[in-house]
Amino acid sequence: MNAVALENLSKTYAGGKQAVKHISLTLKPGEVFGFLGPNGAGKTTTVKLLNGMLTPSEGNCRVLDMDPAQEPEKVHALSGVLTEHAQMYDGLTGMQNLTFYAAVFGIPAGEGKERARELLRRLELTEATDQKLSAYSTGMRQRLSLARALIHRPRVLFLDEPTSGLDPESAQNVNRLIRELAQKEGVTIFLCTHQLRYAQEICTRYGLIEEGCLLAEGTLEELRGRIPAGTRLLIRAARMPEGLPLQHTGETQYETAISQDEEIPVLVRRIVAGGGDIYQVSVKKPSLEDIYFTLTAKRKEAAK
Amino acid sequence: MKNAMLAIIKKDFRGVTSNKNQFSAMLIVPLVLTILLPSVFVFLIHFVPEDPDIQTLVELLPPSAREGNLELTVVGLILNFILPAFFLMIPIMTASIMAASSFVGEKERHTLETLLYCPLSVKQIFRAKVLASFLLSMMVSLISFCAMLFVLELELFFLMGSLLLPGLNWLAVLLLVSPAISLIAVTLIVRKSAKAQTMEESQQSAVFLVIPVLLLVAGQFTGILLLNIWILLVLGLICALLAWLLLRKCMARFTYEMLLT
Ligand SMILES: Nc1ncnc2c1ncn2[C@@H]1O[C@H](COP(=O)(O)OP(=O)(O)OP(=O)(O)O)[C@@H](O)[C@H]1O
Ligand SMILES: [Mg+2]
Repeated sequence: MNAVALENLSKTYAGGKQAVKHISLTLKPGEVFGFLGPNGAGKTTTVKLLNGMLTPSEGNCRVLDMDPAQEPEKVHALSGVLTEHAQMYDGLTGMQNLTFYAAVFGIPAGEGKERARELLRRLELTEATDQKLSAYSTGMRQRLSLARALIHRPRVLFLDEPTSGLDPESAQNVNRLIRELAQKEGVTIFLCTHQLRYAQEICTRYGLIEEGCLLAEGTLEELRGRIPAGTRLLIRAARMPEGLPLQHTGETQYETAISQDEEIPVLVRRIVAGGGDIYQVSVKKPSLEDIYFTLTAKRKEAAK
Repeated sequence: MKNAMLAIIKKDFRGVTSNKNQFSAMLIVPLVLTILLPSVFVFLIHFVPEDPDIQTLVELLPPSAREGNLELTVVGLILNFILPAFFLMIPIMTASIMAASSFVGEKERHTLETLLYCPLSVKQIFRAKVLASFLLSMMVSLISFCAMLFVLELELFFLMGSLLLPGLNWLAVLLLVSPAISLIAVTLIVRKSAKAQTMEESQQSAVFLVIPVLLLVAGQFTGILLLNIWILLVLGLICALLAWLLLRKCMARFTYEMLLT
């Protein structure tokens, strides 16, 4: 069974804006899927479609084999959602907020309180337990929202920019929590972000979206395979022999594109045989960022 | 799911009572209408009986009623015919303030979306919220009535040395007309809440409900229409029917999409 499935999903807003265009995707249980794209790409729209807040204009989607457009309540019972517009009550304390949502999710009062305390601890908000939300900082609010999304132990978690507004330390802490949820409890995570470095740290698979279209999808390795001249070999050497397929990029810096690791020893032997002194050899694989820019640039060219 | 809806109702109650501005706005109208106004009437009748307004009232009475203690009769007239009309402002005001805060207020503060992600249907959430506004309005009405009666009886006892029982009219007002009017007010606000972006904007949609009430008050003073239990019952039934129809129609239209955009 797929945890999340999108089939030819499209959404056109009432104003005529087509925000999501024919997207097909599947997520396996326990996967951390990074849904990446620039501002206005259609990430939030997709999350809303997957939670029944919007109805698809075309195609359909399923969460744990349920159609969010048909039975949103059942989907909500098993999924947790974090979006920037899903705020909590300023007049209530952190604890009161969490216990309120626990009650709304049908969790008995005693257990709700226990879970709330545990989540507050895991998100390092114990000291703010009895503070009113109005006294929370942006990052604290964001973490409390994550606690709220987790209060009913969802099987699927939709996180829209979960680390926006977090300092590096809290972001790392949240990362760890997300990874644990996926690995230890098998929670499927659909994570929207445009912080590519952050995504690369925790996602197991990615989808790149731009202007509503899915550009590419796969693991980091698979995506690397999709861009030509992906991996680069960096060599620092002196007295480099002439006639080798290397670009001279700095005084002692040379660079070239390789497609297989097997090319490395061949090249190194040729340099040594030609009398070169090698100080350092390193392989630079394209980061998610490189892939993202290459693919979006490709699309722009195709559009021209 | 009962508990989930109960949690929403409780939270809405707390929300409106913890906001000082809203809470005081909600208390002022009942205080004026049930404590200040009746007291003014009683003192006027007792100390300035020659007031022309009161004379007109007295003339409206059937001759048989003009005997006995005239002062008490006039107070009785005011208690049972004039005050019920004024009283109807209370459920309208309370229900509008509460409904606006509970529906549009949540939208304004971006908490509605969070609530929509819970495993309740839009209808269930709305039912809980309508119920919260309705219950609060009924509670405030009942407390206001008791407070009014208490103060009035106290004044009557010390000024005129006698007590006065409220008539059947009050029964109809408390049990039928004011619940029905509350529901109408709540529904009007809810209907508007999908489009309205601010609480004030949505409150305006219930303001025109005050007009018929004011007409009723004016009618009572000029004696065109003396409220009796039958008129009240019919009025109450019409309002209840209207409230039910409005509510049903408005609930059926709501979807997640229209609430969030
Ligand atoms: N309610 C709406 N009505 C009309 N158009 C909308 C609405 N919401 C979003 N859009 C449009 O749909 C497109 C996709 O928006 P969406 O919010 O899904 O982007 P996003 O990928 O989440 O962007 P960001 O990274 O900025 O959050 C945008 O062009 C936006 O203008
Ligand atoms: Mg977004």
